[in-house]
Amino acid sequence: MTQFLSLLVNGISLGTIYALIALGFVVIFKASEVVNFAHGSLLLLGAYVIAVTSDALGFLGAVLVGVAVTAVAAVLVERLVINRLRGAPVISLAIVTIGVDIIILTELVRRLGSDILNVPHPWAGESIRFAGVGISLNRGVAMVVAAVLIGLFFLAFKYSNWGVAMRASAEDGETAALMGIKQGQVSALAWVVAGVLAAVAALFLVGSPTPGVSPTVYAVALAAFPAAILGGLDSTGGALVGGLLIGIAETLATGYQDEMLFLGRGFGTVVPYIVMLVILLVRPSGLFGTRELTRV
Amino acid sequence: MTRRRALRAATAVAAITVVATGCSTRAEDAGGGGGGGAAAGDVATDVGVEGETINLGVLTDLTGVFAALGNDITNGNRLFWQDNQVCDTYDVNLNVQDTGYVPQNGVQLYSAMQDSVLAMQQTIGSPINTALAPEYEADNIVNFPSAWSETLTLIPGTGVLGATYDVEIANGYDYLFDQGLLAEGDTVGHIYFEGEYGANGLEGSQAVAEARGLELIEAQITPQEQDMSAIVSQFAAAGVNAIVLTVAPGQTASVAVAAQAQGLDVPILGSNPVFAPGLLEGPAAEKLKEDLYVAGPIAPWDQFPELLEQYQAEFPGATPSLGAVFGYGMGEVMKQVLDTACENGDLTREGVLAAFNELENVDTGGLIVPIGGFEEGQSPSLQSYIARPADVPGGLTIAAEPFEGELASDLASEAD
Repeated sequence: MTQFLSLLVNGISLGTIYALIALGFVVIFKASEVVNFAHGSLLLLGAYVIAVTSDALGFLGAVLVGVAVTAVAAVLVERLVINRLRGAPVISLAIVTIGVDIIILTELVRRLGSDILNVPHPWAGESIRFAGVGISLNRGVAMVVAAVLIGLFFLAFKYSNWGVAMRASAEDGETAALMGIKQGQVSALAWVVAGVLAAVAALFLVGSPTPGVSPTVYAVALAAFPAAILGGLDSTGGALVGGLLIGIAETLATGYQDEMLFLGRGFGTVVPYIVMLVILLVRPSGLFGTRELTRV
Repeated sequence: MTRRRALRAATAVAAITVVATGCSTRAEDAGGGGGGGAAAGDVATDVGVEGETINLGVLTDLTGVFAALGNDITNGNRLFWQDNQVCDTYDVNLNVQDTGYVPQNGVQLYSAMQDSVLAMQQTIGSPINTALAPEYEADNIVNFPSAWSETLTLIPGTGVLGATYDVEIANGYDYLFDQGLLAEGDTVGHIYFEGEYGANGLEGSQAVAEARGLELIEAQITPQEQDMSAIVSQFAAAGVNAIVLTVAPGQTASVAVAAQAQGLDVPILGSNPVFAPGLLEGPAAEKLKEDLYVAGPIAPWDQFPELLEQYQAEFPGATPSLGAVFGYGMGEVMKQVLDTACENGDLTREGVLAAFNELENVDTGGLIVPIGGFEEGQSPSLQSYIARPADVPGGLTIAAEPFEGELASDLASEAD
């Protein structure tokens, strides 16, 4: 039972980080209709900037700079590439983001090498233990911060002008434009939000129990992809549920791998994709995604 | 219009990509030392020897996932050949190329240097060594890999410098038993990478488990997995008495932090690639200093204070990792091979290969564990150092001088 609870808590904490990343995918998709494959390298960029500036600026300063740089990088991608290709087929846009991703990633990996850059979290390797269930303080803080950020995001999405404008653009771009909504601005702001969320996720991903900044942090963003898709790529609530679902499933599958040996070792990594496949088979638009209606 | 724009953007992206990848391959030359003695006119030569200069190839990783290690090993190679000559006559020139840890690049870069190098001072990475094995064999190339997989011992001319991973881990177990940190009948959890490196390490654990009646819990991961909490929970629930690792430094840190979070206070044993000096600046530092034991073929820096001084003077700012010691030791072994070939009057590739094959009881003055010799399919050494993390240059200090564990010789000859 302790093992189960321990895995569950760890899974939820991992899931909230996935949810932050998945929300980024969703926001960008809603505003620009782009599946942003460059999200992983933006996340790694945030982690890298936080790590290299923390000596000079201290932890808080580095976090602020890291978040700002990632947001600016995201908006640059939108302004310089995506915005100029507006109207291009969705597939082309997605492939362009893969190109952007490779460029950013190659440079970051070159800079990182194989050493581990450490981010001096004030909570370092501390842990919280309660009735035999342990979790690193870093993940505890991550859960709280993610909950606050996600809450703020949903409020803004529902009540702010930007949120309303974005929902309107997503619903019907042309009508929204006719109503005076500047889609360029809506889209740019969406990328900023996604950049901020990615950098915050990065901050916690490079703390205990995962080691500091290394190129493999990038791979974690890929695990958030199924989270966004199974929730429904255009559903913000779906991203949250998807993130939690994937985090818990992955952690349980890894923790109980001995009980599932018939599936082979290393099954944990595959689980996000299996969960996604199963859900998409039942609901092709994801759990909360808008169903496409086509008149025949 | 939009199409033209799209085309323009696509072209720009393509151009940037070309530039970005273009700058990741670069050639660098490391010069040899001072002038040589008289030309050895009666020494036969063919490829890779020009006048009194011998060209050796280095296929390393300066920009890929093992860039830090690749840089350090290459620095070690360079430092060695700055101060040493073959036969007191020949300077050595290193042709250093960066594979980025991509086998395809390795194959291309080798074909570019194929006609100009006598032998390979270094080829980094099991996949690249494996990819190049047929060509090395066809060209009679003597090569030193910076990996310790059992399968590499099957390539003729390729000299694994140290014990293979299975022997290494088994030696590590011996140390734990000797120190009373582990007892027969205990439970051990082993986390290993999928692929050759991890599988070879696991073989060591399995052999020890069978011989000593240990209960072994195996957990396979990919190098991309960084969060070890779930596996450590599983180990904690099973009540393991020790954790064994054949992974990369990132996972080592994660295991330490997760074990601390879950109150799992047991020794952690790792093969030599599990450690990097950077770990001691992270949150796992204290736990690692308490619990980590690293079995490996390379002497910690604190054994060679003079070399350390020389290294830091030559490469200011570089972290002195064990890779540099290893690179220096690799140079020493290559020198012994080439000296023997030169004494035999045959510095052709065939002559060098013959010299390599006749080499026995290679002593590098303790830089690398004593090497018995290079026989196909045999672990070249049966010995390992045991090192522990500490606040010293390179991050490791010696816990046990090279020794041969009980199962070493059985495991050494098991390669198939």
